[in-house]
Amino acid sequence: MEAVKHFINHITNPQILFPTLVVLYLFVFPFNDFFLKINKKLRIYKLWTNGGGLAIMLFLLLFFGFGLTDPNFRTIMTKPDNVPIVGLIFLVSFFLWFAMKQASENDARIANNQPSKEAEDSKEKVLVWPDLVYIELICLILCSILLIVWSVGLKAPLEEPANPSVSPNPSKAPWYFLGLQEMLVYFDPWLAGVVFPTVIILGMMSIPFLDNNPKGTGYYSFEQRKMAVSIFMFFWLVLWVFLIIVGTFLRGPNWNFFGPFEVWDIHKLEALTNVNLSEFIYMIGLKRSLPANILLREMWGFLVLFIYFGLMPLILAKTLLKDIYKSLGPLRYSIFTVLLLMASGLPLKMFLRWAFNLKYIVAIPEFFFNI
Amino acid sequence: MPNPDERHYNPKKLTVLFAISSVLLLGSVVWMLLDDYIRPWKDTQREFRALEIENTRIQFDAENTALEKDSEYQKLSQQLEEAQKKFKRDCPDYSNIEKKIAELKAADDLAQQQYKFTKAELDAAKYRFEEASTHQAPDLKQVTQEYEHLEQQVNELMLKAEASQQRLSDQNNRLNSCQEQVKQLERQSRQISSRRDLLMRKLSGIDPNEMNFTNRIATMVRDLPILDLANPNYKIEQIVLKDIHEDVNFMTVPKVDRCISCHLGISDPDYKNAAQPFKTHPNLDLYVGKDSPHSMEELGCTVCHGGRGRSTSFNGAAHTPADEEQKKQWQKDYNWHRFELWEEPMLPLKYVEAGCFKCHSGQSTVKGAEKLNLGVQIIETAGCYGCHLIDKYADWPKPGPNLQHIKSKLSKEWAFKWVKNPHAFRSDTWMPAFFGQTNNNDPESIQRSDQEILAMVHYLFENSTEYESRALPVKGDASRGEEVVESVGCMACHEAHPAPTEKEQLTREHLRQEFGPNLFGLGSKTSKEWIFSWLKDPKSYHKATRMPNLRLTDQEAADIAEYLYQNRVSDFEGQTVPAVDLTVLDKIVSDHLIKNQTHDQAKQKLTMMTQDEKLHFAGQKLIQHYGCYGCHNISGFESIKPIGTELTYEGSKNIHNLDFAFIHIDHTKWAFFDQKLKDPRIFDKGKVKLPDEKLKMPNYYLSQNEVDAIVTAILGFVETHTIEKNKSEDPRAQTINEGQRIVRQFNCQGCHIIEGEGGTIQESVQQWLVDYDGRAENEAQAMVNSFSPPNLIGEGQKVHAQWLFEFLHKPTTIRPWLKVRMPSYEFNGEHLNTLVKYFNALDNSEFPFVEEIDTSMTPEQFQLAEKLFSKDYFGCASCHIVGNQIPGGSPDSWAPNFALSKTRLKPGWISEWIKNPQKHLPGTKMPTYFDPANFESAGPEDLLNGDENEQIRYLRNYLMTLTDKPSSAKQEAAPPASAQEAPQK
Repeated sequence: MEAVKHFINHITNPQILFPTLVVLYLFVFPFNDFFLKINKKLRIYKLWTNGGGLAIMLFLLLFFGFGLTDPNFRTIMTKPDNVPIVGLIFLVSFFLWFAMKQASENDARIANNQPSKEAEDSKEKVLVWPDLVYIELICLILCSILLIVWSVGLKAPLEEPANPSVSPNPSKAPWYFLGLQEMLVYFDPWLAGVVFPTVIILGMMSIPFLDNNPKGTGYYSFEQRKMAVSIFMFFWLVLWVFLIIVGTFLRGPNWNFFGPFEVWDIHKLEALTNVNLSEFIYMIGLKRSLPANILLREMWGFLVLFIYFGLMPLILAKTLLKDIYKSLGPLRYSIFTVLLLMASGLPLKMFLRWAFNLKYIVAIPEFFFNI
Repeated sequence: MPNPDERHYNPKKLTVLFAISSVLLLGSVVWMLLDDYIRPWKDTQREFRALEIENTRIQFDAENTALEKDSEYQKLSQQLEEAQKKFKRDCPDYSNIEKKIAELKAADDLAQQQYKFTKAELDAAKYRFEEASTHQAPDLKQVTQEYEHLEQQVNELMLKAEASQQRLSDQNNRLNSCQEQVKQLERQSRQISSRRDLLMRKLSGIDPNEMNFTNRIATMVRDLPILDLANPNYKIEQIVLKDIHEDVNFMTVPKVDRCISCHLGISDPDYKNAAQPFKTHPNLDLYVGKDSPHSMEELGCTVCHGGRGRSTSFNGAAHTPADEEQKKQWQKDYNWHRFELWEEPMLPLKYVEAGCFKCHSGQSTVKGAEKLNLGVQIIETAGCYGCHLIDKYADWPKPGPNLQHIKSKLSKEWAFKWVKNPHAFRSDTWMPAFFGQTNNNDPESIQRSDQEILAMVHYLFENSTEYESRALPVKGDASRGEEVVESVGCMACHEAHPAPTEKEQLTREHLRQEFGPNLFGLGSKTSKEWIFSWLKDPKSYHKATRMPNLRLTDQEAADIAEYLYQNRVSDFEGQTVPAVDLTVLDKIVSDHLIKNQTHDQAKQKLTMMTQDEKLHFAGQKLIQHYGCYGCHNISGFESIKPIGTELTYEGSKNIHNLDFAFIHIDHTKWAFFDQKLKDPRIFDKGKVKLPDEKLKMPNYYLSQNEVDAIVTAILGFVETHTIEKNKSEDPRAQTINEGQRIVRQFNCQGCHIIEGEGGTIQESVQQWLVDYDGRAENEAQAMVNSFSPPNLIGEGQKVHAQWLFEFLHKPTTIRPWLKVRMPSYEFNGEHLNTLVKYFNALDNSEFPFVEEIDTSMTPEQFQLAEKLFSKDYFGCASCHIVGNQIPGGSPDSWAPNFALSKTRLKPGWISEWIKNPQKHLPGTKMPTYFDPANFESAGPEDLLNGDENEQIRYLRNYLMTLTDKPSSAKQEAAPPASAQEAPQK
């Protein structure tokens, strides 16, 4: 038993868990034909059947059932603050499965030249009385019961009077901001706290203008819009929900990582050995000290950024995203790729941090400008 | 055309689902209401109600039985019965009258109402009339008519009402005159049974069995859910303290204590034997009680006890168990756990006195708080403030001896052995142990410690300046020395025998007795010459020493030196001192060198140093490291700050700032302090540390009761800005506090009884009486007061401030029969002034402490007074010394010299003293000539018409004329004492 816990503690370390999830993701939500083929071959799409759904739920239930036997796991999961996030895990899984199930059924029908399931519904009418009103009423009652039972059963997690000289350790943002807080580990506040949230909002606003695929409207489908779905799902599941879960359950005192079965020891120390790109190049690569001139020192970082944001879209337009370039045209294509590259910057930076201890690509602490 | 029967769902199924979910909703709402309604404190209040009913019933029954046995009450009842019979006999139409009264009353009520209503209409009509007549309205006439009509009506009705009232009162008078005797007796009987009736009334308010049906229903209904919003029986009781604020960091809120919601019997003496939470406070005279200085209404509960006053749940109130046993009990009964969300949990019972300092922080001791005072005094004696800055001790002298002339006092070997383990030489020393502790007693550390001590000793001797000890001018005699030590006053502060191996429970009395070091074993420590020189003039060796000069003669000093020198501690002498181990020393030196240079530079420097230089260098660094200079004067460390954590507000420290490391104890402040004091190095356990990173607080080897006392004091060191009512701001209290600090600093209570405490020396005086004066044990006990330093009660009232100032500055002999001497402390001006102010403040005498009383006498008066003074009357001189005339009899009956009276004593006090000496100094041997019980006949009847007050006045004035030469008293008495003195009456 201890060995299992130890193993889980080990693999939940983000350096392992995150890349694993990313790789798995490519096969579960294949964004191009290549991965789709593998997906089909491995029959991963079977996840979106009743049996698959049962398996997902069973897996989650088993994991939590097993976990709750451990005192550390129990303390963290049953904290009144954290209970909603446990609920979130189940709810997100369920609705993800439910949507994908309908999508995959429709995909099968479309492959057989049948209309989608939704198309079979009559288009002109909704049965309001008593069908809709009745089930709405019942839902209302059930939700009220849930809220009452929850509020009576779990007391509001009020804490001591706030003391400016004693900040809670760990200091955690509200759960819905934990993804942003997690970004702060990898980016400076001006990026993680200001630029990224703004870009996220602008990016979401621009989705209707960037996505000109007419297929898949009004019905669930994955294969007809695999690129759109998988990109969105990546950011939603991996970069938002996953980071909230990490922030809630796996970040302990001093914002250190703790496995789900590990004691949150306030004295745990982790060595901080991160280096900037300039130090990589000058000190490790060229074996010389950093140049005094800031621009000279950071020119490599700027070069990398130029390649990433300046050249990558051009290269991609000729290679991987040839079709998209064609369908979107140059302006919409450039907006799309810049947004995409910015969003991918987060996982890339995380990966660089874990793999190479890279602190900043451009580091100008003199002007509080670090990327 | 849509099909009306088309359905997505089966309506029947939906209805079933709807029904089920509705039932569930109802269930959850009921649960919610019950959860809100059922509160643990209500159960407690119900329990208390039952107890209250039981208690009241017992009292009621007792009172009732007492009344039944009370003959007066019985008699009254009988009389009442008879009177009632008589009343019925005398007023046969009594029921008719009553009926008539009822009828009249109804008629009267109606008449009154009619009158009032009509008058109201008249008022309205009046307004309309005024309005109409001012504006000449067209309907003026009509309005006028109406108004006049109503006015007439009102007048009629008024007459009618008055007549009706008269009729009613006539009938009432008739009835009353008949009933008078009954009423009178009823009043009397009620007076006697008032207590019982009161209890009955109380009972009928709380006991459903004593209520009528309506009230019983009402009591039930008022506690029902929702209806209980109005005025329930069971409700949260709270005390709101407007003057005391709770600091919740970003704001302050008035303190609200809801403790009495459960502790319902806390202020009621009837519940002394009840179980918690209903038990009465154990000290109602001092706390909680309405008339106590700390009443509940004014101070609440949590101001002293700590805890979260607003809570109404057991755990939320941050209760703290007194001990392990209670903790287990609570865990069982209340599912108790530590409430971590409140920074100031309730103080455990044994530290509860810490709460006193929240208001009494200006004072350094608090009357009645024995544990707290002991803690404070240990802190002062042990000299915690030497290393730990504590604001109130910022100006205190260093607790340890001066080491600037150590060379002339000690040997290097002795110093080494002492530092290594002071308790081996003197188990009761307050010098703590730095070495051989839990974090440095492994072989490697011991080896290092030895070299460290060698280096420090080397530094101290190297930096020691010369002090010339005087050679003994005469040969001393040890046995005589022993007698001097026992008689002259040394034993007030010192002991001179090996400390007992089994430690007694430390008290403040002990601390006074052990104020100075134990003098045993001086032979192993220093030289005869040094002891002699020190005794003759302590200040010449150490300017700031608190050791006073006893003005010993050369012979006495030599005798004492001889006596003290003969005591040796052979075990200690037998210990060996290791040689300098260069490899270890080099390591120590280089460890310090590399702190501010590279390894290479350090190595180079090390090779260039001689052994002496290394010792000197390491010694200096280590003295700084261990903070020796916090307690001792050491050359080269005059202006370096002490090394300890500041403790001024240690009690307010946040728990997060205490490092519990790997030690598994409760995460509370007191558990930390307790552990730290018991083993100061324990928090190093399990840690990997370099030698100079280790914890270095030394070990005092404190017993549990000492630790408890110190923890109490430290927990009391709190910031108290939230409590505005700070009584210590009263200037008198401040003066007293300052005086007390000096009294403790110089151990005045070692000899004198001040504020009812002290007189430690009496034990040794008694011993001296037995050993050297040939008294029997019980005789010595009886006369010990006469041979001990005086009790200083009422000193401010008694002596002139000027005299006190001069006496403290340069003591003179007042009681020549005493062997004990008032030593010369060489107080500075500030000390002297503070002490004079202190004694005067104690007796409520105010600046400039002068009493203006005319004590002049005419020659006739003088003769009369002389007569009173003579053997024929009071015979004052048979005990009192007058100038150089020593009275007959043994010295234990002697009394102070009258020649000093004029300069020393305040005349007002003398009168009061003669009148009733026992009142001013209980137990004094001064006879009470004027028995206060029958004062008027106490004095002799043949002088001054037997007026006692006059006799006392004459005696007093006579005393003021006495000087060293009694024969000249007559001449001095003739002129008026002083022109500026106001006449007495």
